[in-house]
Amino acid sequence: MADRQLATIVTQLKSIPPSTPYTETSSLLSRAKLLLLQLNALTPSPSTTNPQLLSLARDVYEAGALASIRAKNPDAFTRYVSQLTPFYELPPNLLPTSTERNKITGLRLLLLLTQGLYSEFHSELESLAGDDIVPEQDKYLGYPIKLERWLMEGSYDRVWKAMKKGEVPCEEFGVFSEILTYQIRSEIASSSERAYPSLPLSSTKSLLFLDSEGAVIEFARNRGWLVKDGQIYFPTAQEATEDGGEQKETSQTVIENTLGYARQLETIV
Amino acid sequence: MPGKTPDKEPVENGGYRGGNAKTTKGKKAAKDGEDEKMTVVVPPSKKQSSAPPPNDADGDVAMDVDEADDGEAKVDPVVQTVNDIKSNFALLDRAVALFDARFSLRALRSISSIRKRLTPDILARAISETYSVSSLSASAAKQVLAAIGRSDVSLGRQSSSEMDVDSEPTKTSGKNGSAKKESKEIIPEVDVFFGILTQVLLHDTKQWQQGAEYSQALIERIQSLNRRTLDSLSAKVYFYYSLFAEQLAPLPPSPQSPVVSIRPTLLAALRTAVLRKDVDTQASVIVLLLRNYLLTSHISQADLLVSHTQFPDNAANNQVARYLYYLGRVRAVQLRYTEAHEHLVAATRKAPSSACALGFSQTATKLLLVVELLMGDIPDRATFRAPNMEVALHPYFLLVQAVRVGNLEDFESIISEHAETFRRDSTYTLILRLRQNVIKTGIRMMSLSYSRISLRDICIRLHLGSEESAEYIVAKAIRDGVIEATLDREKGFMKSKEVGDVYATREPGEAFHERIRACLALHDESVKAMRFPMNQHRLELKNAQEAREREREMAKEIQEGDLDEDDLGGDFEGM
Repeated sequence: MADRQLATIVTQLKSIPPSTPYTETSSLLSRAKLLLLQLNALTPSPSTTNPQLLSLARDVYEAGALASIRAKNPDAFTRYVSQLTPFYELPPNLLPTSTERNKITGLRLLLLLTQGLYSEFHSELESLAGDDIVPEQDKYLGYPIKLERWLMEGSYDRVWKAMKKGEVPCEEFGVFSEILTYQIRSEIASSSERAYPSLPLSSTKSLLFLDSEGAVIEFARNRGWLVKDGQIYFPTAQEATEDGGEQKETSQTVIENTLGYARQLETIV
Repeated sequence: MPGKTPDKEPVENGGYRGGNAKTTKGKKAAKDGEDEKMTVVVPPSKKQSSAPPPNDADGDVAMDVDEADDGEAKVDPVVQTVNDIKSNFALLDRAVALFDARFSLRALRSISSIRKRLTPDILARAISETYSVSSLSASAAKQVLAAIGRSDVSLGRQSSSEMDVDSEPTKTSGKNGSAKKESKEIIPEVDVFFGILTQVLLHDTKQWQQGAEYSQALIERIQSLNRRTLDSLSAKVYFYYSLFAEQLAPLPPSPQSPVVSIRPTLLAALRTAVLRKDVDTQASVIVLLLRNYLLTSHISQADLLVSHTQFPDNAANNQVARYLYYLGRVRAVQLRYTEAHEHLVAATRKAPSSACALGFSQTATKLLLVVELLMGDIPDRATFRAPNMEVALHPYFLLVQAVRVGNLEDFESIISEHAETFRRDSTYTLILRLRQNVIKTGIRMMSLSYSRISLRDICIRLHLGSEESAEYIVAKAIRDGVIEATLDREKGFMKSKEVGDVYATREPGEAFHERIRACLALHDESVKAMRFPMNQHRLELKNAQEAREREREMAKEIQEGDLDEDDLGGDFEGM
C-alpha cells in the first residue's frame, strides 16, 4: 500500500518541470519521506533487500537534492547528499548505479568549491579516484575539477568563459555562477591591488568582467580604491604601517627564540 | 657439559635464551635425545667433529622435506626450525611469569627468521610435539592443524609418518616424556603464538580465504581470554587479520570489499584496548583502521578517527612510523601540506633503515617528494641517488626536474607517461595539483632572468592558453608573493623589482631556528628513549635516606652539646 503511494509520488517528482516552486516540491518530498519512514527504508540496512524500495528511496533523495539546489538551499542539498551516500555504496547487484549520481556528486564538488572548502573538495575527489571512471572526462564531474584547477592557477578568464551559457553541463550548475563570479571578481581585485600601480577605468572593466564603467566606479568605491582622471589608484598606505608592525614582531620572535634556547641549554647542562 | 658452549652462541634472535631452555629440557630427555638437541645450536663449522652420528640421520629427514641440497652441509632445518619455534615458549613463559612484555616482543621478533623456513609440516610437527591430547587447549591446536590442512596429524606424539621415519625411534621415548610433562602448563600465549605462525604461513602461501576464516576464529578466542600478557601478541593477530581481509575479492577500492566489514571488529578492539591500556593493540589497531579507511578513500572518516583517538606515546617505533605515514597522507589530501610534510619526514626517519622495510621507506619517500613539491620546495638531489631508491623513484625524479625548470609541456608528458605508476602509488591526484606550482616556478624563473618581459612572451614560454590568462596568472603570483614585480596593463609587460639580499630578511634566522629546534627535539627524544633499570631509584632513595639520617644525627649532636659548635664551626671554615 505505502510503497505504491510512494511510487506515484516519485513519478510525480520526476515529471514536474524544474520551474515548479520549491514549496510545492518540498511538500511532495516530505510526504515521500514520511512514507519511507513507514516502510522503514530511510537508510539502507542489511535487512532491506527489496531493490525496488531501495531505488525508490534513492530517487526521492535525488529529486530532493536537485530541487534544493534549484531553490538555492545549500544546507538542504548537503543533507540530501549525505543521505544518498549509503545508497551509492550499495553493491550494484542490489541497486543498479544511478544515472544521476555523477550529476549530484559534481554539484556537491561545485558547492564545496564555492564555499571555499578546499580540503573537503579534495577529500571528495580522492574518493572518486578509486572508481573505474576517470573523473576528468565525465561531463558533470570534469566541470568542477576544471574550475578548481583554473581558480588555483589564476586563469580567471577561463573560469569566466566556462560559466557562460552553453558551457555549463546542466542548468543546476548555473546556480553557482553568481557566487563564482563574485568570488573571482574579489580574487582579481585583490591581486590587482598588489600587481598594478594604477589602472585605467576602461581596462578595469574588462579585467573584472563588469558591464559598464559605472559598475567599475561602484566596485572601486566598495573596495576603497581611489578614482582620479579615469585612472584607478590602489591604496598603498597599508603596507607602510604593516612594515612597522612586522619589524617589532621580528625582534620579538628573535628574543623569544633566544630565550627558548637558553632555557633548553640550561636543562641539558 | 658440552651443551654449555653452544649456549653462548647467539645463533638466532634470542637464540641463547632458547638454548638455556633446551638444556633443561634435554636433562629430562633421554641420553640419545640430548645428542640430537645439541646439534641444533652448534655452528656448522664445529658440527663435523662434535656430532657426526645424528647428522646422518638428519640428512635422511631433510631429504624427505625436499631440502636435499643443503641437507648434508647443515643441521637438519626441520629440527632446527621446530626447536626455534619451541625456544620462544620459554620467552613467553617468562613474559607471563615476570609480567614483562619485552619477552613476548622478543618472541615476536624471531618470527621473521622462522618465517622463511616455515612449512605446514614443520608447524604441524611443532604442534604435535607441544600439545598432548589431554591438554586443555588441544582444541586450539586442532584448529591450527585444520587451518594448515594437516588435520590428520595427531597430538602429543612424535608421529606424522612421512616426515621423520628415521629419527623417530631415537626420539620418541624422550620427547613423549617431556611433552607430557609440559602439557599441563601450556599457556594461552603459546596457543596464540602458534596462531600467529599459522597466520604467517597462510599469508605466505597466499591462502587468503582460509587465513581470513582462521583469523576470525583466532580473534574471537583472544577476545574471550582476558590476559594482559597477550596484548603484544594480539596486536600482531589483528595485523594479519586485516591483511587477509584486504586480499579477499572484491579488492579494496570497491565499497563492497571485506575491509569495510571488518571495521566494526577493529573499532571494538580499539575500544577494548584503550580501556585496558593495551598500548600495543591500541597503536596497531589505529594504524590498521587508518589504512583501512584510506584503502577505500574515506578520507573524512580517517580524519575523524585521528581527531577522536589519541595515538599512544610509547607505541612501538614501527607503528609510529606507519601512523605518521598515514597521517601525512590524510593531511596531504586535505591540502595541509606543512603538517603532512612534518609527519612524512618523521615517518621516513623512523622507518627501519634495514632492507626489510625498504618498501615502506620508498612509499613514504615518494609521498614526501610530492608534498615537498606541492609546498614549492625542490627535494634534495641526493634522495634520488640512494642505491636502494634510485629505480623506484625514477618517475618522481623526472617530475621534479620538470617542476624545477617550470616546463609545463614536460610536466604534462611525464604525467601521462607515468600515470600508471602514479596511480599505483596513489599519488596521482596529488601530482595533478602540481600544475599550478609548475606555472609558478616558470614565472619565477622568468622574473629572475628578465627585468622586463612582455605578457605575450610569458604566454608562449609557459604554453598558457592566452595573454589574458597570463596576465591573471602573473597578477595572482604577485599577490601570493611568488615574485616581486609589477604589471603594466597598457603596454602589456611585467617589470621585475630588484631582488633584495636574502641575508637582510628573516629567512636565514628562521632556517637557523628550524634546525636548532630539530636538534633540541632530537635531544629530548633520545632522553625519553633511554631505559633505566627498574629498581635503581630505590637504591638512590636508600642513599638519600642514609644521608638524611646522618644529617639528623649531626643536628642532634649540635643540639645536645653546645660545646661542639665551635669545633663544627672550625670544620665548616675548613671546608
